[in-house]
Amino acid sequence: MADAPETDAIVKKEPDKPVRDPIVSRSTSGILFVCAMLLTGTLAWALYDEAYGQRAWKGMQQEFVKRYNRYLRRQLSRSRQGGPGTEKEVKESEEYKALDTEAKEAAQSVEGRRKEIDNQLAIIQSRLDAITDPYQNARGYITVLNYKIETAGKDSAKNSLRQEVAKEREQQSTIEIPAEDGSKRVQSVKMNYTQMEALYTELKDKKGALLTEKAELLKKPTELAKKRDDYLKENVTGLTDDQIRSLIRRNENFDYSLRQISVLQYDIVDRCETCHLGVREPVTLTPTAMAAQRKKPDALAHASVSHPSKELLQIHNPERFGCSSCHGGNGRATTSVEKGHGRHKFWLHPLWARENMEAGCQQCHSQDRVLQFAPTLTEGKDLFQNRGCVGCHRYEGFDRETDALSNARQTIKQLEEEISNNERESRLARDESGNAEDDTAAQKLLARAESLRVTNSLIAARIEQLNTTSKYLMQDQKKVGPNLKDVRLKLRKEWIPEWLRDPQNFRPGTKMPTFWRIDGRLNQQDDQQDTREDEERKAIAAFIWQESFDGRVPERQKGNAVHGKELFETRGCMACHSIDEGGQRIGGDFAANLTRVGEKASYDYIVRWIYNPRERWAPYCPKEKRDLTREDYERNGKPFVFDQDHSKCPNDGAEIQVQNMTVMPNFRLSEKDTEDIATYLFSLSNQSSWPDASFMDDPKLKDTGRALVRQYGCANCHEIKGLEDEQRIGKELSAEGSTPIERFDFALLTKPAEEGLDPETFKPFKDPQTGKEQERPWYNAHGFISNKIKEPKIYDKGKEKEAKDQLRMPKPFMTEEWNRALTTFLIGSVGVEGANVPQSLFYHATDRQRDIQDGWWVIKKYNCMGCHSIQVGQNSVLMGLPLYQSSEWRDQLPPRLTSEGARVDPDWLLRFLHDPSLSDESGRAAPGRSDKTVGPGPQNAATNNQYAASQSGTSSSPPVAGPGARQNGGGAQGSGSTASGPAASNANADHARLKPQPGQDRNGVRPYLKARMPTFSFSPQELRTLVRFFMAVSAQQDPYIPEKLEPLTEQERNLARQLFTSRGAPCLKCHITGDPEHDKTALAPNFLLASERLKPGWTFRWILDPQQISPGTGMPSGLFKKDGERWVFSGETPPAFNEFHGDHADLLVRYMFELTADEQRRLASTSPPATSGGSPAPKETNGAAAPAPQGVSRAAPRWRGRTRRNGGSALSYIRPSGRAPTAQDMNVVAVAHRRAVNFSP
Amino acid sequence: MEERKPRLSPVKLALIVAGVIALGLYIWWVQDWHQIWTITSAPDNVPIVAMLFLVPFFTWYGIKQARDNDRLVNQLESDPQLAKTHHRKVEPWRPGWARELHVWPYLVRIEFLAAVIVTVILFIWSITLNAPLEEPANPNLTMNPSKAPWYFLGLQEMLVYFDPWIAGVVMPSIIMVGLMAFPYVDSNPLGNGYYTIKQRKFALLMYGWGWLMWILLIVIGTFIRGPGWVWFWPGQTWDHNVVVFDRNIDLHDWVATSWLGRTLGLGFLSGGIGKFIFGAIVVGAFYLLGALFFHWLMMRGGFDRIDRKLPWWQRLKLWATTPDEFERKLLARTSLLQYLTFQFFAISILLALPIKLILRLALNIKYVWVTPWFNI
Repeated sequence: MADAPETDAIVKKEPDKPVRDPIVSRSTSGILFVCAMLLTGTLAWALYDEAYGQRAWKGMQQEFVKRYNRYLRRQLSRSRQGGPGTEKEVKESEEYKALDTEAKEAAQSVEGRRKEIDNQLAIIQSRLDAITDPYQNARGYITVLNYKIETAGKDSAKNSLRQEVAKEREQQSTIEIPAEDGSKRVQSVKMNYTQMEALYTELKDKKGALLTEKAELLKKPTELAKKRDDYLKENVTGLTDDQIRSLIRRNENFDYSLRQISVLQYDIVDRCETCHLGVREPVTLTPTAMAAQRKKPDALAHASVSHPSKELLQIHNPERFGCSSCHGGNGRATTSVEKGHGRHKFWLHPLWARENMEAGCQQCHSQDRVLQFAPTLTEGKDLFQNRGCVGCHRYEGFDRETDALSNARQTIKQLEEEISNNERESRLARDESGNAEDDTAAQKLLARAESLRVTNSLIAARIEQLNTTSKYLMQDQKKVGPNLKDVRLKLRKEWIPEWLRDPQNFRPGTKMPTFWRIDGRLNQQDDQQDTREDEERKAIAAFIWQESFDGRVPERQKGNAVHGKELFETRGCMACHSIDEGGQRIGGDFAANLTRVGEKASYDYIVRWIYNPRERWAPYCPKEKRDLTREDYERNGKPFVFDQDHSKCPNDGAEIQVQNMTVMPNFRLSEKDTEDIATYLFSLSNQSSWPDASFMDDPKLKDTGRALVRQYGCANCHEIKGLEDEQRIGKELSAEGSTPIERFDFALLTKPAEEGLDPETFKPFKDPQTGKEQERPWYNAHGFISNKIKEPKIYDKGKEKEAKDQLRMPKPFMTEEWNRALTTFLIGSVGVEGANVPQSLFYHATDRQRDIQDGWWVIKKYNCMGCHSIQVGQNSVLMGLPLYQSSEWRDQLPPRLTSEGARVDPDWLLRFLHDPSLSDESGRAAPGRSDKTVGPGPQNAATNNQYAASQSGTSSSPPVAGPGARQNGGGAQGSGSTASGPAASNANADHARLKPQPGQDRNGVRPYLKARMPTFSFSPQELRTLVRFFMAVSAQQDPYIPEKLEPLTEQERNLARQLFTSRGAPCLKCHITGDPEHDKTALAPNFLLASERLKPGWTFRWILDPQQISPGTGMPSGLFKKDGERWVFSGETPPAFNEFHGDHADLLVRYMFELTADEQRRLASTSPPATSGGSPAPKETNGAAAPAPQGVSRAAPRWRGRTRRNGGSALSYIRPSGRAPTAQDMNVVAVAHRRAVNFSP
Repeated sequence: MEERKPRLSPVKLALIVAGVIALGLYIWWVQDWHQIWTITSAPDNVPIVAMLFLVPFFTWYGIKQARDNDRLVNQLESDPQLAKTHHRKVEPWRPGWARELHVWPYLVRIEFLAAVIVTVILFIWSITLNAPLEEPANPNLTMNPSKAPWYFLGLQEMLVYFDPWIAGVVMPSIIMVGLMAFPYVDSNPLGNGYYTIKQRKFALLMYGWGWLMWILLIVIGTFIRGPGWVWFWPGQTWDHNVVVFDRNIDLHDWVATSWLGRTLGLGFLSGGIGKFIFGAIVVGAFYLLGALFFHWLMMRGGFDRIDRKLPWWQRLKLWATTPDEFERKLLARTSLLQYLTFQFFAISILLALPIKLILRLALNIKYVWVTPWFNI
């Protein structure tokens, strides 16, 4: 119907010419044709879309196959030309040729017979073929007849059939059969059924026999050929030509189809490999390899590469985990790159960006502190912990001590309440019993009262345990920032407001973030804002100043700065601290940069601090919520002494905080050295003058200040008087990454984020290289978090807010790399619910793996990696310092701990970590040490008793306070108690005096090292964790069973002595002997420590090849050479050894483990070798020594797993049953710990 | 189009210029094209965007057809002789032509073409736009804005103006029952099988009113209502953090607390039985006035029945005061039951809905009649 109306056409007059009716006459075929074409076209389009449009991967697959084959062919031709590691090169090598000849010869030798057999087989087969058909026909016919006989009713019928069978058997048939001689002549033979059967069976048997013979014959050549091919496979880098050819063949018949991993059990369906075809190819595909011909690698080339870490794929088999579990993305989508990568608005698990790839690991490995394949993620966790994020933000598992402590305290509170309830009830019952109606009722009430009392005593015991737990938790609890109760003692008053204004300005890179000056930049700087911030700073400074300990640190004398510099650089301070040298920061960034410490701090306080950072000014009682004073102690008639052994509140017996909550350890420096170091540090800067700060004494500012300190959460990182129990002000971040996008408050930046504009300028981002403008939408978790970290107040931009309502997060020092690491960590923190991985696939650590992770927490907490290399490939901070670059200083590096667990005895390690000075063993073997090797000595008996006692819960009674009680291993200064008795007259001076330093200036194992293993004052819990870490990392058995060594015979001892002092092995030249003159130059530990410190098995391996265990060690390798099954000394051996057929290394190890101080002195004095004489052997070993069989060649060292002590090791006592230590554990640990520490019986 | 004028009348020209300027100002004022694009490009909204163009087009097309028919009717009415021959509207009959045409093939082939074209459109649509999928449901997080499918958006929008029970149950029921009842209250025998305005003026007006109102609600629901179901003008950014001050007040409170109410001492209206009675009176008055309005409207014919030579205000006055003969005849054919049924449905929906909409949007009136059982 025509669309245009002929509105004026309604006329009466007839047209001049008759017009045909358009509706009837008009043809619609034109438009119909167009429509039909359109329809056909769209139909074709639909079909194309179905086949290719929606299946873009088909094209990708074709292109992949094309490029892959081109690459493979290139490989083949390269191989033909014979580059390094190619098949051609390997084939031309001598070894291969030898193998090849051997294989060929073997094949040649059987060639004749093999051919013969093959010929015969061919003849037999042809004959068999000829007879099979007629024979089987006949047999079939006879079988049918037999069946008929069986089913026939009448006997007569049966009989006639039987006759027919007989006839059939006799029936001659003509068979065309090849001749037996293989002449290919065909004979016509007439045979009946029986003959045919016989011939058939005979041929079959013959064939079988020949085949067996052939297999037997070829056995050797096949083996040799396989050996040759294996050699080829092993030595060709990449694939052999055959393998490559088979890949090409496979590609030629490539199956263009969806590649799908479907793990029904976990509901994983991933089709990623439909496009990423190269991921699991045996050839390593790189973008360059997969680039189109003569072109740069394009997107397809980048998408076609192999997985970069085959190792990771082995751990996480894609057939089990799929791809999207780790990488995110929509594994099911195949229609477009955007959809497949989950970059669709509504897909909850978009593909992690390359730089944040390791966020995927966090989904399952959230409990792991250190993850081997995820350095960025691990760095993020380091930062989160070390830079103080954890101060304000809870994160599950991060603030272990504080969480556990508040739990324990909560429980204690509840239990105490229960006790008082019970007491009241018991009293009531007793009172009521007096008024009871009859005797029975009274008895009942009294019994009730009694039972409540008993219950109370049980509860009291539980409280006791919890108190012990909290004591150690308190010991382990550290704060990110320094104790602000000390500011009056420590800081220059005027400096504080300056510091608060902008910490980064005073000390770039410090952990203290900038709290102000942010708003100004975001919302046009205005004066009002400035004034407000100034007021806030003043109030906070005043509050902190006024809420500080009021006292004076006694004056110290200035020391020698030059010596101080040397100490600072060599003792290991720079593993954590840095200083600016020539405009460059040198040292670790774990702790503060100390260049400008002189501008802010009091010299006297710093001396005191370096001397012992854990020394607290006054103890804090969490129950009374205040710091205790001398009066508190005096009122209760107790001396003002507080340390780990005196950790109970004099008022109420609660466990108190006796240490500074710092991770800084005690370096056991003398007072003089301390002064030198402090003098050096103060010489680095000039006293600058700061503006007047008299307002800080204004008491009116205090309340405002307190409110502000609470608002900004200062107490989350610092210890502040009155705010010790402040709650965290930040949001918990354990599952931050799975927050729905709507719940992230982008505020006024929502639009710029969606449109991809720069939040600073509201313009498209500028590419730093090309300068091109580009919109990069960041409306996602990654965008929110990374911008928040970069500029925490950014989401207040443009908001009209009261000061108190503004975002509180301060601006931390943040590099791009740190931002990436933290963002990776946080966006990967999706919790259980938000994970892309089914929960059943999560990583569950075994006990040992958990030991390792628990250990990492402690190691990272105290920055052990600042001095030690703990992981293979990890370098300590010290290793990177300029000082340690020369070879003689490299010998001064602290030991690598990569195989520490295998090296040392866990009991010893526990003792060492507790007190690295090993101060009770100065030069002499500890009493009762060596009898450990032969049986339970008196000390062990004692400890066992102690252990038993602790189990009954009595040994955790409060330590006896008294002057003698502080004698912790005896101070090297020889001073007795400095604890103030009631008689102390000048209380303050006495209080502030430096206490004696136990183990001063001693290194327990390596006195020759300038760097010093400091005393960390680990709690028993942490000691246990560390020891178990080292054992677990070295895959040591658990529980630990010491190896038993066979005692030396007199003759062996003489031999060992000679070897020990021989010219070829001047062991005592480097190892410490205890002789002060000699030890000056010694560079290795004392042998006397070996028996208790080392494990014999490790020692054996060590002396064979030290370089393998600790590359770069000073200990020479190649001291022994293999002689048959035994190791013999490779140097010149004393003549007496000609008669000795035992293992030399074994002999030395056993000798070393029996070495006593006397023997060592004797050795040292007899410098010329071979002065064997009848010197008296050490007494200890004589008793139990059994003569070892002589002349018997021993292949292996003579120790086998047997317990050295009947009690087992201390570690086996303290093995925890679960993850969290129970109070009982702690008690036990306490005992083991005390046993390890107090050597007095 | 009945008169082709060489130039536009000054009034029309002024209107067009004013329209263009207004549109230009609006475009200048609207800055968030991104937002507009986000809404219009959402695959869910494709039918509604299409509707924005299709509804006016087909409305215009239908009206055009109806006017052609009306013109024919006029012509044939004035010339009974012609009525014998000229039945055909678009291609008027000429000698030698068939007076009547068969459905096959003349109609069916056109319908076939239409079917082919629609098929092509559907093909292309389904190839280029895939069904939109959104994120998995999260019981802890309601999507915002949470919108019904486009055909229910009118219902959802009604929830703003009425109680859920009224808007969700009562009014939809009335609408459906009303649509079913209307053929039976219709006493007009004319207009079956062809478009006409002249012969079904009132019916057309009522239906068009209701239908366009429904479309309007859908458009509002789609393009205007943003997060929190807050009113955003086209081009305003849909801000999740938007803060609006929207203090709604019941009519009786409004009256009681107004200056007039305070002067007259109408404070009693705010509480208890007072507000109940007040609401009942208002609603009763509304029905009464509504009935009078519809009765009056029924009697109006077309505006063009009034002499064109008169100035427009006189024409309007005449139109408003003199009943149309044709309509009067129709009313006479209508039974009381038919009349009352129509009045009930018309007032309850066609009148109540826009009035409540205006009350709410313009005056922030929450309810007119508050009772313990229902609120209107």
